[in-house]
Amino acid sequence: MKHPGHTDSSQCRAGGRRSCRHQCLRPRLAAVVITSLLLGLSSMQGQRAKPTEYEVKATYLYNFSRFVEWPAKVTQAQSDSFVICVLGKDPFGAALNTILSDEASSGKSVVAQQIPTVQDAVNCRVLFISSSESTRLKQILTTLGDASVLTVSELPEFTQRGGMVQFVSEGSRVRFEVNLASAEHAGLTLSSELLKVAVNVRRNARLGD
Amino acid sequence: MLRFRDYSIPRKLTLMNMMVSSTVLLLSSAGFFAYDLYNFRKRIVRDLGIQAQIIGSNSLSALAFDDPHSAEKTLSALRAAPHVLFAEIYTPDGRTFAGYRRDRNESFPSPPSITAGSAEVSQFQDGQVALVRLVAVEGKPVATIYIRSDLEAMNDLKRNFTFIVAGVFLMSLLATIWMSSVARRSIAEPIVRLAETARIVLSEKNYSVRASTIDERNEVTVLISTFNEMLAQIQERDAALGKAHDRLEQQVQQRTEQLNAANADLEAFSYSVSHDLRAPLRHIGAFSRILSEEHDAKLDPDARHLLGRIQHGVNNMSSLVDGLLRMAQVGRTKLAWVATDLNSLLKDAIADLQPECEGRQVDWNIGALSPIDCDPGLMKQVFVNLISNAIKYSRRREIARIDVGQLQQDGMSVIFVRDNGAGFDERYADKLFGVFQRLHRVDEFEGVGVGLSTVQRIIKKHGGEIWAKGEVDKGATFYFALAPKGRSFAGATKAAASGQ
Repeated sequence: MKHPGHTDSSQCRAGGRRSCRHQCLRPRLAAVVITSLLLGLSSMQGQRAKPTEYEVKATYLYNFSRFVEWPAKVTQAQSDSFVICVLGKDPFGAALNTILSDEASSGKSVVAQQIPTVQDAVNCRVLFISSSESTRLKQILTTLGDASVLTVSELPEFTQRGGMVQFVSEGSRVRFEVNLASAEHAGLTLSSELLKVAVNVRRNARLGD
Repeated sequence: MLRFRDYSIPRKLTLMNMMVSSTVLLLSSAGFFAYDLYNFRKRIVRDLGIQAQIIGSNSLSALAFDDPHSAEKTLSALRAAPHVLFAEIYTPDGRTFAGYRRDRNESFPSPPSITAGSAEVSQFQDGQVALVRLVAVEGKPVATIYIRSDLEAMNDLKRNFTFIVAGVFLMSLLATIWMSSVARRSIAEPIVRLAETARIVLSEKNYSVRASTIDERNEVTVLISTFNEMLAQIQERDAALGKAHDRLEQQVQQRTEQLNAANADLEAFSYSVSHDLRAPLRHIGAFSRILSEEHDAKLDPDARHLLGRIQHGVNNMSSLVDGLLRMAQVGRTKLAWVATDLNSLLKDAIADLQPECEGRQVDWNIGALSPIDCDPGLMKQVFVNLISNAIKYSRRREIARIDVGQLQQDGMSVIFVRDNGAGFDERYADKLFGVFQRLHRVDEFEGVGVGLSTVQRIIKKHGGEIWAKGEVDKGATFYFALAPKGRSFAGATKAAASGQ
């Protein structure tokens, strides 16, 4: 159900933001720009170049936390910190830290942490399993067991293999799949909002078991 | 067109009631309507704000994970809100993230700018309302929602309100007319009936009618009963007045009859006295003449002188008795109305008086007189008396001048006899016509004082008037006018006199 306006903006993004500004500038869009200029911080973001794939993924990593509920024992134990861990080779570079520091400004202490082994993941809320860990995936997931850690990876068939959230690419867009059963097994509640935007929601048990 | 203040009371009452009720209704309707409209605008803004907030909340994940399709699905739920024409979600960097239009081909103005620090702004414009809401998560703006709605609901409200007001207006008008008819029965109609009664009373001079009373206790009742009371009093006084008038009339008639009887008695008496006095007087006159004619030689000068005095007295008395007799006869005779030529009558009178002018120089000025209805015999007496008077009192003038003529006054023919003789003092004018009343001494001008009195009697018997004007030593003028038959002569006297 796409209307002309939407199509325009899609084309805009496809053609590159900067060049498109001049072609597609309509009064409405111009007004929106003016409106957003008034928003201060957001206007600065508006000036930024199109984010890279890993900048997007870094943002998503943080955003997942907004739509996931951890069990009370975890939130009580880690009430003062929120740790996002990266296991294996870190593909984000500085992006993750930059984004998290932006979020920290909203008063919440969110930190990124590179961990060498899965045993170090006890304090993590979100665990990104790097593609470098492809061969050790089964062992990693087994080790985690039913620990309340949201597992995220861009490894293919991650959700089929018992992972919870898997990044998938849809054209230039980053989307994700969800394995609801794995999340529930770990005591995590994924909000319907999150499921709404997921490409695919699996409800079968973990294959890894 | 009649002015309002000239309207009848019932119409005024109805109109006033209608004006008051319509004014109150219109004012209160306007108040209610303004209040309703104000509330409605507030409500519509609030509802739109809520809708925007719901859209924002439901689009959080779509925004977080860059899924416009999901947001559009959320927006498409607005189909259920028929008045929402348009909605769009913008990302904080100003991109259009997702949109919704009820009618695809319609275009909409740019959103009103939101002031820093506020989360929402709304604007009414061209029959639509536009609202922009900022959606923030944990104090951080994540999206801007722009939503537009038509004001059809408001138009519906206006339409409904118009119908309701029209309906209520109609009902209140009917109620007013009904209430006015009550007021009319109780206030206006009694007053109208009262006014009608007053009109009848005035135009017909009929004080026996009464205004119909009403079964109420208020000012109108007081007015009606007072009016009736007044009528009763007027009627009473009218009756008393009528009675008094009748009594007076009766008394006057009685007195007139008594007076007439007395007058008749007096006339009969004076007639018979004069008549009976003539025979002895004639004897005295005859015997004294025989005495002076046949026994003159035997009388000494003294006796002759006394005899002469007797004869003089007899003559005097004889003319006095004759005069009285004539005057009495005027009262007794019935008028013989004949169309008379006054000119020949006047000529006869002057001819009769020729002996009195013997040895005198008289300048006669006789005007033409128009014929008149009168008793010729009596009218001749009038002329004889007046002209005889004129000759007598102008005796001392070397050339006596006597004018007789006619003049018109107030449509009335007035005849006058004027001389340049001794005249009279007008202070005593009322005594001129009295019996035996004289303004001159006998040794100046002889006479018995019956002539003018007789003249007045004759004129009055004709229904006319006589009056005189004069000044000592400057002559006198006598005027008389006969009223046309059946016409009252009152008032002509003074007018004629002042005309001189």
